[in-house]
Amino acid sequence: MMQSAPSGHPRELSNELDSGLGRSDTSARRHVVPAARHRVRYGRMLYLAVNTAVLVFLLAPIAIVFVFALNPTPFIQFPPVGISLRWFEKFFASRDFMHALGFSLEVAAITTVCATVFGASAALAIARGNLPGARLVVATMLSPLMLPAILTGLALFQTYVLLDVGRPLWGLVAGHTLVTIPYVVRTTLAVLHNFDLRLEEAARNLGAGPMRTFFEVTLPLVKPGVLAGAIFAFIVSFDQFPVSLFLVSPGSETLPITLFNYLKFDLDGTIGAASAVSILLAFVVVIGLDRTVGLRSYVKL
Amino acid sequence: MSLAPAIRMNGLAFFILPSALLFALFFFLPIGLMAVMSLLTGNPVVAPNVAFTTRHYARIADDPYYFEVIWTTIRIGLWTTLAALAIGYPLAHWMARIKSRAGHALLLMAVLAPMLTGIVVRTFAWMALLSDKGVINQTLQSLGLVSQPLKLMYNETGIVIGLVHIYVPFMVLTLTGVIGRIDERLEQAAENLGASPLRTFLEVTLPLSLPGILAGSLLVFALAISAYVTPILLGGFQIMTLPILIYQQISANFNIGFAAALGMVLLLVSFVLVVAYNHVLGRVSGQRDLQ
Repeated sequence: MMQSAPSGHPRELSNELDSGLGRSDTSARRHVVPAARHRVRYGRMLYLAVNTAVLVFLLAPIAIVFVFALNPTPFIQFPPVGISLRWFEKFFASRDFMHALGFSLEVAAITTVCATVFGASAALAIARGNLPGARLVVATMLSPLMLPAILTGLALFQTYVLLDVGRPLWGLVAGHTLVTIPYVVRTTLAVLHNFDLRLEEAARNLGAGPMRTFFEVTLPLVKPGVLAGAIFAFIVSFDQFPVSLFLVSPGSETLPITLFNYLKFDLDGTIGAASAVSILLAFVVVIGLDRTVGLRSYVKL
Repeated sequence: MSLAPAIRMNGLAFFILPSALLFALFFFLPIGLMAVMSLLTGNPVVAPNVAFTTRHYARIADDPYYFEVIWTTIRIGLWTTLAALAIGYPLAHWMARIKSRAGHALLLMAVLAPMLTGIVVRTFAWMALLSDKGVINQTLQSLGLVSQPLKLMYNETGIVIGLVHIYVPFMVLTLTGVIGRIDERLEQAAENLGASPLRTFLEVTLPLSLPGILAGSLLVFALAISAYVTPILLGGFQIMTLPILIYQQISANFNIGFAAALGMVLLLVSFVLVVAYNHVLGRVSGQRDLQ
């Protein structure tokens, strides 16, 4: 997205021209209503001030996590008194946290594979299969995103109790897959809808069979959308809490559950370090997303 | 020969089957079972003779305690929605109207960064900010502005602050989509006719963005009433909401039937809200197609 910035220059130039014209416009009006012009400028300043405050509200909590994680005192102290990595050392030395981190990564990895395979093939069927009631199918596939995830967890938990299967790993992964499929479906559909069908036709006209067309034309073109969905599925599964709440078994808990249990009793720097690690992971993912497909394609709500 | 593409298209339709199976087994069946369990006297696997009953629902309807829990949940949801709208609208407007692409990308990053941070982590961050010895109270006290720490958490205020932070990105993204579709020439026309920017906003932009306000509010409300982590941690285990009550019925009482009945109540409310949300947004994009 950053690389695409230069292409925005002509637009910005025309805007400067526009606002230049606007400026001469106001200067012509200046003698008539000076007060109104001031009001406009104060209005603009207020607009920017409010928005800056909103951005601070959004980002300050994330910054505070890092302050807390790097501050050597075992309790919250502000302003911070120094920088140390002792909480990170404690986090990486803790068997509980490391076990939870490993388990979370494992669940997220399996979930990503499942959600990607299921979600991408479903998106392909929706976009190309001439499915009857395609809109309802899309709404259904996106519904786990909006219906309370805690109910997905509760309903699965009840089902596993009734079937007497205990709390297996596949049960947890199934729950995570349900709540991550919507992301893959959405990103893959976005790419498929912008897809130039003539490319496939061209391949077919040049003599490629349906299989070859699919693997050599369709798949490479759809890949960015699938990839974006997969990365999203990974991060959502890694951060997933409400579904896991009902489905993890004691002893093998995911990182958010371990963090939550820790938070109930303690608020020391270890939790700051653990949080910082998962935030950094998310940031790596966001940058990865931006590099692969750009951010715009999947934020259409 | 000319029929071949149509047949192949239908062949691709079979790719829906794995997901259809997954949703049938792990989504519709469990929710169906939850509906059934909410009407049974006990667990049919363990207990030999279970019968159908409406007593779980009767219990919710009869005991004022559960009404209070539901009302607390709705009240927190309403405040969260209002605050998210007040905070989200200016940012959404800026995002929809900003000209520079780099600026837009940076704003989008700022909105997505909290979204990609886990809810437990964000709730922890707010605990660090809002607690009696948290960042805000320490700063206020060292500046001598307050002598006693402000009660910022372990109450509904703290819950609402945390929930707003978690769900405001959904509001911003929904609103940005709708505001971005408003024809800017309408605003320019109003200003050329002598309306001040404020009046242009109040009489042109705001009315045209009402569907976005409605859709975003429905979404945030639906998400806020189903939150668990933030209400329990920022409420300090003092404030009871519907999701907390549901989990408590499982973890403390192992009353699956009653938990299922409470779950059905939450599901019904959320379902209505989500259908309304889709309807509102569907109409907005429909209008756009017509133009």
